[in-house]
Amino acid sequence: MSVGVLIFPGTNSEDETLRACRAVGLATELVPWNAPLDDVRAFDAYVLPGGFAYEDRVRAGAIAAHDRLMQAVREGAAAGKPVLGICNGAQILLESGLAPQLDDRVGVQAGFARNAPLGKFRSTHVYVKLAIPPERSAITASLPPGTVIPAWASHAEGRLAAAPDVLARLEREDRVAFVYCAADGSVTPESVPNGSALGAAALVNGRGNVLAIMPHPERDAWTFMHHDPARDRAAGDTAAMLATSGGIALFAGLAAALERSVRV
Amino acid sequence: MIRCVEIALSIPDNEARTALATLERLGVPAAALERADLYRCDVDDAHADELPQTLRAFETIFNPNKHVLRVREGDSPLAGEVWIDEVGRDVIVAPVRIAGRTLPGVRSLERFTAWRLFAPAGVPAAPDLVDAATAMLLCNTAFQKATR
Repeated sequence: MSVGVLIFPGTNSEDETLRACRAVGLATELVPWNAPLDDVRAFDAYVLPGGFAYEDRVRAGAIAAHDRLMQAVREGAAAGKPVLGICNGAQILLESGLAPQLDDRVGVQAGFARNAPLGKFRSTHVYVKLAIPPERSAITASLPPGTVIPAWASHAEGRLAAAPDVLARLEREDRVAFVYCAADGSVTPESVPNGSALGAAALVNGRGNVLAIMPHPERDAWTFMHHDPARDRAAGDTAAMLATSGGIALFAGLAAALERSVRV
Repeated sequence: MIRCVEIALSIPDNEARTALATLERLGVPAAALERADLYRCDVDDAHADELPQTLRAFETIFNPNKHVLRVREGDSPLAGEVWIDEVGRDVIVAPVRIAGRTLPGVRSLERFTAWRLFAPAGVPAAPDLVDAATAMLLCNTAFQKATR
C-alpha cells in the first residue's frame, strides 16, 4: 500500500509529512504537480500537506483545487481511497468540494476564511479532540473515542465558514471530525485559535474517507517537538526524545485505514 | 462624498495570470483578466481631493515602483467586473486607519478585490462569463460575496 504526498508550487510541509507517514510504516513518496496522472492514480492514499500552494493566489487553496493533479485525487476519493489534507491541504480539499461534500450539493460548500478576530496569521500550539464516533471516518476508525491530539495551528485562514444551514448539517451529520480543545480535552471557546465556526479543526466527507484538518499534527509527532512534561522527561535520552508521539496518531490512523482496506 | 480608488500592479500581475490560466482550464473563455485592490471611501468634501495623495503615502498598500493608483468616476463595478469582499467584514468607520495611520476626513472605508474580465475582442466580458468565473473560481460564497 502506498501513499502519495502531493506537492504543488508553494507547498512547504512535504518533508515532515513524508517522515510522519514513513514513521508509521507507510510506503510514501513525494508527488510533484507535474507527475504523470497515471503514476498519481497508482497510489492507494493521498496526503495534501501544508504550505502556500500557488502562493494562495485568489484564495488559499483555490488554484490548487483545480490543478490537474487533483483529477487523480478526485477519482481516488470517489473510489474510496483515504485522502488527508493538512492546513493548506485542508483548504484545497474544501475549495475542491471534496470536503465536506454534503450529498445534495455540488461544488464548494464551506471554506477556511481569515482568522477572527484580527484576520492575522497565527502560529500556536493547540490540541484537537476527536468529535465524531471514530468509525465515522476511515482515518479515525482506529483511534479511541475522544482522542486528543497535539498539533500546531499555523495559518491566517483557518476559520471554518459556511452558510448557517450548512453549519447545521455539518454538526448534525457528524462532519466536524476534530474540534479545538484544551490539553485535558475540555472544549472551551478559549481553545479555538481562529474563531472557527463550531470550534472546528477538521471536517470529514460523507463517506468518511476524506479528512481535512487545519492544524499540523506532523509538527507535534515526535517527543522532541512537544511543549509539555513529556519532553522534559525525555531530556538526556536520545531514543526517548526521537520517539514518535502525539500527532503521529493521525498518521497511524491513516496506516490502519489502509491496512483494513487490504484485509477487506 | 463617495470616492473609489483602485490600486493595481503596473508590472505583470502573476496572480491574475494564474487565475486566468485556471479559468481557461475550467472552460471559461476569458481573453484577459485584471485585478485591483479597491478602496471605496466616504470622505468629507474638504479631504476628497487629497485622498489619492494620502493613499499614495501608505507604503504598505502602494509602491510607486510597481503600483498605479487611479480614482474612479463611479462607485460601482465596471462592465465585465466583479468585486469580491468577505461576508461579515464590517465597513471600517472613522477614525479609519491603514497600517496604524489615520486617513484624514474619511468617514468610512470598504475594501474589495476587483476582477475584470475581457472577451477575446478586448471588450469587457459579458455578464454570463463574469458570473461563470465568479462561481467557479473568484468567489467562495461560503465566506465571500460578489458585487456585480
